[in-house]
Amino acid sequence: MVVGAPPNRRRLLPRLFEAHERDGFLTAESVAVIAADLQLPLAEAWEAATAYPDFAIDAPQEPGADCSGLSCVLNGAPEVPPGRHSACRFRCYDAPAPAADAPFPETALGVRGPLLAPDLADWRGLEAARAAGREAALAQIEAAGLRGRGGAYFPVATKWRGALAEQRPIALVVNAEEGEPGIFKDRALLGLRSQRFLEGLAIAAEVLEPETVIVFVNGAAGAARASLQTAIREHADLLPDSVQVVLGGGGYVLGEETTLLNALEGRKPVPRLRPPYPAESGLFGMPTVVNNVETLAALSAIFREGAEAFRALGHADAPGTKLFSISGHVARPGVHELALGTTVADAIAAAGGPSPDRTLAALVGGPSGGFLPPAQFDAPLLPGRLHDTGAVTGSGGIIVLDQSADLRGAALAMSAYNALESCGKCTPCREGSPRAHAAFEGGASADLPDLIEALEAGSLCGLGAMAPGPIRSALHFWPERFR
Amino acid sequence: MSVAIDGRATSAEGSLLDAVLAAGIDLPHLCKDDNLPAIGACRTCLVEADGRIVAACSLPAEGVSSVDTQSERVRRIRRSVLELTAGMQEAGSEGTAGGPLAAAAHLAYAREGADVARFATATGSQIDVSSPFFAFHEDQCILCGRCVVACQALQHIGAIGLAREGGATRVTPGAGVPFNDSTCTACGSCVAACPTTALRPKEGPTDG
Repeated sequence: MVVGAPPNRRRLLPRLFEAHERDGFLTAESVAVIAADLQLPLAEAWEAATAYPDFAIDAPQEPGADCSGLSCVLNGAPEVPPGRHSACRFRCYDAPAPAADAPFPETALGVRGPLLAPDLADWRGLEAARAAGREAALAQIEAAGLRGRGGAYFPVATKWRGALAEQRPIALVVNAEEGEPGIFKDRALLGLRSQRFLEGLAIAAEVLEPETVIVFVNGAAGAARASLQTAIREHADLLPDSVQVVLGGGGYVLGEETTLLNALEGRKPVPRLRPPYPAESGLFGMPTVVNNVETLAALSAIFREGAEAFRALGHADAPGTKLFSISGHVARPGVHELALGTTVADAIAAAGGPSPDRTLAALVGGPSGGFLPPAQFDAPLLPGRLHDTGAVTGSGGIIVLDQSADLRGAALAMSAYNALESCGKCTPCREGSPRAHAAFEGGASADLPDLIEALEAGSLCGLGAMAPGPIRSALHFWPERFR
Repeated sequence: MSVAIDGRATSAEGSLLDAVLAAGIDLPHLCKDDNLPAIGACRTCLVEADGRIVAACSLPAEGVSSVDTQSERVRRIRRSVLELTAGMQEAGSEGTAGGPLAAAAHLAYAREGADVARFATATGSQIDVSSPFFAFHEDQCILCGRCVVACQALQHIGAIGLAREGGATRVTPGAGVPFNDSTCTACGSCVAACPTTALRPKEGPTDG
């Protein structure tokens, strides 16, 4: 491949998105026109086009129903109709929320720290990174102990060094897909703190000197996208010329980074095998760094305030603050910036949650996480599992259920969601997750343990491996509700 | 470099699956084609590598110190995955003539003791006999993806894809047309790669 002259494939997703916006849906004919233009086999364009849940085929989607995500259901919205894709509209701070996307309101920013401090008036973080040079900048990121905020908490400097060690042109990809129900913190950053994000992006570009920079934004997040595009236009002088915003067609699995790379390459959005890891061979075989929006915002804070100031908050192994999206039965739903290591109880209290005796449960980590009863709320929010039945810090989603809530309904909604969001590539997840959901719904049949084990140990990616969390945790803590 | 496979030192060349097969151990690998890079979709080559359950096709042998292909845990998980796989196939095709590898799936079910009726729900019921040389029976398809990779990456024809997602995923010629209306050249690579009788040669152009 000639660097700088990317294959036509790279234009497939933008062209599909454009056609979908224009017509309201895709057809065999409209995809055939695009495939012919890009000189792609039609079957390959079609398998990509038909794999995105937000792309309607042959007829427009029904007019957007009001949100029926878990937080909205807890706040009075009707239950999710069976068989429908992600009902969450990512406005859990506004529950019950209407269907339409809207700019993120400042009022939904709760506890604030370095990431949510008022947006920047200067670029001294970027200037500091420039003055430092690559090696010193990497050392500073290492000293700060920054770990990726997308949910996997991989050390950022290690990932970057891995890509640089390839000594080939690098691709920098920002994951702003944010497709996990109950999460809305990247939308908050892009909408209200876009300059902080841009400074982080500029710092990353300074250190990595990427050949190409792509920000992958959720196609339904129109307000966040507009804010980002305005900021990029206004501050184009800070960024490499190659910066490109690509909009996706939805799908929880896009949170998995190799799936995102396939989408950007115009391939079907399904996970790749690892190895090779993206840092070795990612986008079109380039060494590729994939970072989350929040990770880059944290970089800005590190270069503005210094590694020590960053380390002053958080845990020794996982320093810094994290943006938690807290919703459900809380008085102040929204984004709350809390030190990593904060307990679940303190996080819920920060959002004005009910007292523990009036709380039934919290779903920690979204559909890939698990439910915890108040007796477990002293668990610190750190990388990895909070409880071995499922709860994880992940990307920081916490949904609080008070004593009035229907826990069985909430758990079934999560297992149904995981079954529906399976990309279909690997057998354990495609075949196992719907059967696990059915077995769970039917009162935990004898097949359930085998299905859970096959999903956890046999799935190709984390989506399948973590799909049993809501089931296992609900059955473990509230067995009486599932008899 | 060597890797201990079920206690026997074996040269750690290629993937873990290569090493396991080189050691003379018969491990299912329904989506791994000798001619193609690993797909990693069927998850039937699960082994326990240094205590972790992994798909042997997708991990380099180098760097792994010991592999257990027969631990109770890995046998149980492999069997569950094979039962989920078998569930996609309509029963009663064992005697049907297919491509050169068409017996692979049923051999794997038998060898690993899979209860083929446990999770039965066939993938679909479409039958496509439009090609003059082969037929496609969806009710035997396990969505392993070998035919698609053979068509796209080996032959560079790209006549078929795995359209749609999740449980709706199907092997699909063009944008949902019969094989004969796609760019299929009837080269036969997909039939040769199929580990079931989903893709089967016709005896003559009139054979359904």
